[in-house]
Amino acid sequence: MTHAIEARGIGKHYDVPGGEIEVLRGIDFHADPGELVSFVGPSGCGKSTLFNIMTGLLQPTYGEVWVKGRETTGTATPEIGYVLQKDLLLPWRTILQNVVLGLEVRRVPRREARERAAELFEVYNLTGYEDRLPSQISGGMRQRAALMRTMVMDPEVVLMDEAYKALDYPLKIELESELLATVRRSGKAVVFVTHDIEEAVTLSDRVYVLKAHPGQVVEEIRVDLGTDSLRIEERRLAPRFNEYYERIWRSIGTRPVDAGRAA
Amino acid sequence: MATAIETTAPVRATPAAPARSRRRLGSRRTLLVVLQVATVVVLLGAWELGARAGTVNTFLFSSPSQVLAALSRRAASGDLVVDVRTTVTEVALGFLVGAVGGSVLGLALWYSRFVADYTAPFIAAIGAIPVLAIAPMTIIWFGTGLMSKIMIVGFSCVVVSLTSSYRGAQRADPDQIDLMRSFGASTGQIFTKVVAPGALPWIVSGLKLNVGFAVVGAIVGEYISSNAGVGHMILLGSSNFTVSLVLAGLVVVMAIVLVLTFGMNLLERALLSWERTTK
Repeated sequence: MTHAIEARGIGKHYDVPGGEIEVLRGIDFHADPGELVSFVGPSGCGKSTLFNIMTGLLQPTYGEVWVKGRETTGTATPEIGYVLQKDLLLPWRTILQNVVLGLEVRRVPRREARERAAELFEVYNLTGYEDRLPSQISGGMRQRAALMRTMVMDPEVVLMDEAYKALDYPLKIELESELLATVRRSGKAVVFVTHDIEEAVTLSDRVYVLKAHPGQVVEEIRVDLGTDSLRIEERRLAPRFNEYYERIWRSIGTRPVDAGRAA
Repeated sequence: MATAIETTAPVRATPAAPARSRRRLGSRRTLLVVLQVATVVVLLGAWELGARAGTVNTFLFSSPSQVLAALSRRAASGDLVVDVRTTVTEVALGFLVGAVGGSVLGLALWYSRFVADYTAPFIAAIGAIPVLAIAPMTIIWFGTGLMSKIMIVGFSCVVVSLTSSYRGAQRADPDQIDLMRSFGASTGQIFTKVVAPGALPWIVSGLKLNVGFAVVGAIVGEYISSNAGVGHMILLGSSNFTVSLVLAGLVVVMAIVLVLTFGMNLLERALLSWERTTK
């Protein structure tokens, strides 16, 4: 089976005055359709660098990125969409105009773009807010609109970098539950980058634990909370949650001194 | 799906508080207008009374009624219309060349960081030249007619507009540009959909500043050589020691600047309605 996205031995060095810094070393991972995979690690583990390499916006020093069985290293491809912590909505565009931005860039006819967007407004409960400006809706709605802007492009893989970090807790739980439902329904692969172990455990099918200096995968953990619920608060209360939480914590916490220095 | 947290969230403050503060704001505003009008009335009144009582030397300082009389004489002879038309034409065309042209150039510099860095010291050098210093040269090059005035007005606007629109273009969020790239956007699409609209507030603030600079440029040009225009009218008044005509000219200049500024504010409201709701 071809993976939705696959990284083969990715490494990244940055030139700095007086030498170079090794940010990532030999990262292998994959995510399959309908699967939610997380990267979790301390600050300085190169999460954002890895994220940018996956989006194709950054060239790795060595290694390859493959999307649906095709090498895409260092090139942005329509099969990959991403969402950041910043919603990046253009303040002068209405929510609808923001959602169809990517379709507009790809010169999808206006009517078709609006039809595709209209479906998403229903799915994401934003119907009635199409003509608002970003400044006129709440942070949670903005983050939803940002996800819609990605989803309307119908990517195979959705990358999310600390996407819900800025939201308050109940809202975060809500949007994560929606995300999980979206993954199961759409069969898209989602790669979630976070420093939050709880978020990684409740959301993911698999977790890659990273260590810092240089960023390396120390462990790959398959998560099975023993519940079919897609509600994050229920998954959080699953009896096996603590087991996974502890396991990841130990895996990350092997070098507390380094982590402290990096922060 | 439980989205209650969200759908009840539209940001709306409790109705009582804003109503009260709006009322207080309203009365504050009325007070301000009353004070401002009163100040003008008192000053003009004192000036007029002083002139009539002989305590104010009308040869040096004229009086409000004399200024008004000079203005209406100038209007009756048809000269006022010609002067205003001349100056407004110079300002409008010079503004188009300098402020609008400068804004376009500033945006265009976004395309090449290299060209922007290369031209930076030259732009700064040109910006350092006072319009008064270059005006005589402009007359030599472009003659004493409309063309030289357009050049002087354009010169006094161009650097401010260029700089502020370039700054605005530079402020585009790199993450936003990356997002556009991930959609497969061309540089042209990034420019028209992200960079240019994002720079608009800076462009408009450059244009607003330049209304004043443009009028200064036109008056300076007319001082140096002209046979019509508000600057010409002021020059005529001062060389004949007709202070009331000089002051009438000042009133006309103020009126022109106020009208143009008002127009710019309308333009700003139309173009940047999203910005007001953002703040």
